Amino acid sequence: MLEFIIPNIILCRAIEAMASASIACAILGVIITKIGISSIGFTMSHAAFAGGAIGLFFGIPVTIAAVCASLFIAVLIGPLSDRARMSPDTTLGILFSMCMAVAIFFIAWMQTTGSGMNATMLLYGNVTSLYQHEVYGLLVVSAVAALFVIVFYKEITAIIFHRKIAESTGISTSPIFYGLLFIIAISIALSLTIIGGLLIFVWLVTPAAIASQFCRSIRSMFFVAPFVAVCISVAGAVAGLSFALPVAPLTAVIFAAVFAVAVLLSPMRRITNSKN
Amino acid sequence: MAVASSPLIVLEGIVTAYEGADRPSLRNVSLRVGPGEFVMVGGPNGAGKTTLLESIIGMLPITCGSAQVCGIDVKKQGTAVRKRAGYVIQNFSFDPLTPFTVREVVMMGRYGKLGYFRRPDRHDAELAENAMKTLEIEEFADKPIGTLSGGQQQKVLIAQNIAKEPEIMLLDEPYSNLDLYSREYISTILAGLVRKGITVVVVSHAFDGLPDLPIHAVVMNNGSITLDRACRAAEIEDIVRTTSQVPVAHA
Ligand SMILES: Nc1ncnc2c1ncn2[C@@H]1O[C@H](COP(=O)(O)OP(=O)(O)OP(=O)(O)O)[C@@H](O)[C@H]1O
Ligand SMILES: [Mg+2]
Repeated sequence: MLEFIIPNIILCRAIEAMASASIACAILGVIITKIGISSIGFTMSHAAFAGGAIGLFFGIPVTIAAVCASLFIAVLIGPLSDRARMSPDTTLGILFSMCMAVAIFFIAWMQTTGSGMNATMLLYGNVTSLYQHEVYGLLVVSAVAALFVIVFYKEITAIIFHRKIAESTGISTSPIFYGLLFIIAISIALSLTIIGGLLIFVWLVTPAAIASQFCRSIRSMFFVAPFVAVCISVAGAVAGLSFALPVAPLTAVIFAAVFAVAVLLSPMRRITNSKN
Repeated sequence: MAVASSPLIVLEGIVTAYEGADRPSLRNVSLRVGPGEFVMVGGPNGAGKTTLLESIIGMLPITCGSAQVCGIDVKKQGTAVRKRAGYVIQNFSFDPLTPFTVREVVMMGRYGKLGYFRRPDRHDAELAENAMKTLEIEEFADKPIGTLSGGQQQKVLIAQNIAKEPEIMLLDEPYSNLDLYSREYISTILAGLVRKGITVVVVSHAFDGLPDLPIHAVVMNNGSITLDRACRAAEIEDIVRTTSQVPVAHA
C-alpha cells in the first residue's frame, strides 16, 4: 500500500506489517495492562508460540495453528479469571512453562532434522519474506481491535475501572471479556511470524507501559500507546533492514530503552514544590 | 408495615452459596420489601448481609428458592435487575493512579441503562452533574478518583448510583468512611430518595443520625434473617443489639 513512498518492496511490507501489528498489540495492551490481566496475555502469547511450532512441525499453516492454540488457552483460562476467584499466578505459570516446553521441544527437534531455518523465524520473527495477504491480515486485525475499543468504549472503560462495579451498573461484562480474549488470540497469532514467539509480549505490554508514564486518562492512552508503538516499530524495521540486523529483537530493545527513558521522564513521580 | 400491593423485592426461601464454599452463606431467606421502604439490615460480621444484597441484584448464584426484584426474575435476568437497582459496594479501594476522574466514575452509573451501543448524551451528563451536586462533590469532579479520601470516594460511588435513577438503592455500609456531618447528610439524601418512592436498603453498623422515617428492620445471624419488623429510628440500635447473637461494636 505504501509502495508509492517506499519503493523497496521488502522494506515497504516490513513497515506495513510492523505498524499494523503494533497498532493491534498496543491497543489490546492498554486494556490488558489496565484490567490487570497481563499474565493472561503472556500465557496466550506463548500458547500461540507453541501452536506455531506444532503447526510448523506437522505442516499445518503456522498462523492457523497459533490461532487455535491461543484460543484454546483463552477458553481454558477465561472462565477461571472471569470469576476472578482463582489466584491466577500458579495456574498461568504452569500453563506458560508448558507452552514454552512444547514450543522448544518441537523447535529443537526441527533443528536436528534440518528445518531449523523456519524454526528460528518462530523464535525471533521475520519481516523480510512477507506476503501481501499477511500484511492485509494484520491490517484487518488492527482495524478490528480499534473498532472493538470504539464500539465498546464505555463498557471497556468501566471494566478497567472496577470489574465488580461495572457489573453492578448493569453491564454484562462477560461478553466483553471473552470478545477481548478472542481478539487478543487472533492478533497474537497473526503477529507471531513477524515478531516471533519470544518477543510478542514486548509489543503487548511495553507501549501501554510507556503511555501510562505520561497519560492521565484512558482515552489518551488509546492514542499514545499505538502511536509510540508504530514509531518504534517503524524505526526498528528501517534500522534493522538498513544495517542487516534482526528486526524484531532490535525493535524490542528499542522498546525497552524508550520505556526506561519514559520512566525517568515521567511526570507521575513528581512531588510538588509549592508551599501552599 | 405498609407493604404496598406489589412489593419490589420478593425473596422466597433463597439459598445462596459462594463458589467453592462447603455450605451456603444464605439459608432459606425470605423477605418482602415494598416501594419507598427504608430498610436497615443489621447483624454481626459474617452474618450474610453483603451476600443478601448481592443476591438481590443477582451477582451471586442463588441455588434454591425464588427471587423477584422489580418484577424481574433475578436468577434469569440479573443484568436487567442491575439496570434498575443501584448498589454501593462495601469494600473498594482505588489506586491513586487510576485514570478516571470523579465525573467519569459518576457517569458510569448510566452505562448499564444505556446498553451496549448507545453513548451518554446531554441528559446523562446532566444526571451525573446533578448527582455530584447532591453529594456535594462537584469541586472534585475533575480529580482522579484515587486521589480522594475514603469518605469522598464513598460519596462518589453513591453519586454514581443516584445518577442511575434506580428504583431500588442498596448500600453496603455507606457510613463506614464518613464523618459525623457526612453521615447525617447522606441520611438526609437517602430519606429524600425514600420520599420519592425509591426503596432504600442500607446495611450498617452505625445507627446514629438516621433519618426520622419508619424503618423496616432486618437482622441477620449466621446466614438467616432472625428479625424482620417495622420500627422507629430511635429503636433500631437496641433491636439490632438484642437480636444479634454476637454483640455489635458500638460505632
Ligand atoms: N467470596 C466468598 N467465598 C466464600 N465464602 C464467602 C465469600 N464471601 C463471604 N463468604 C462467607 O459468607 C458469609 C457471609 O459473608 P458476608 O460478606 O455476607 O457477611 P457480612 O454480613 O456482610 O459481614 P460484614 O459485616 O463483615 O460485612 C461469611 O461466613 C463469609 O465467610
Ligand atoms: Mg459485608
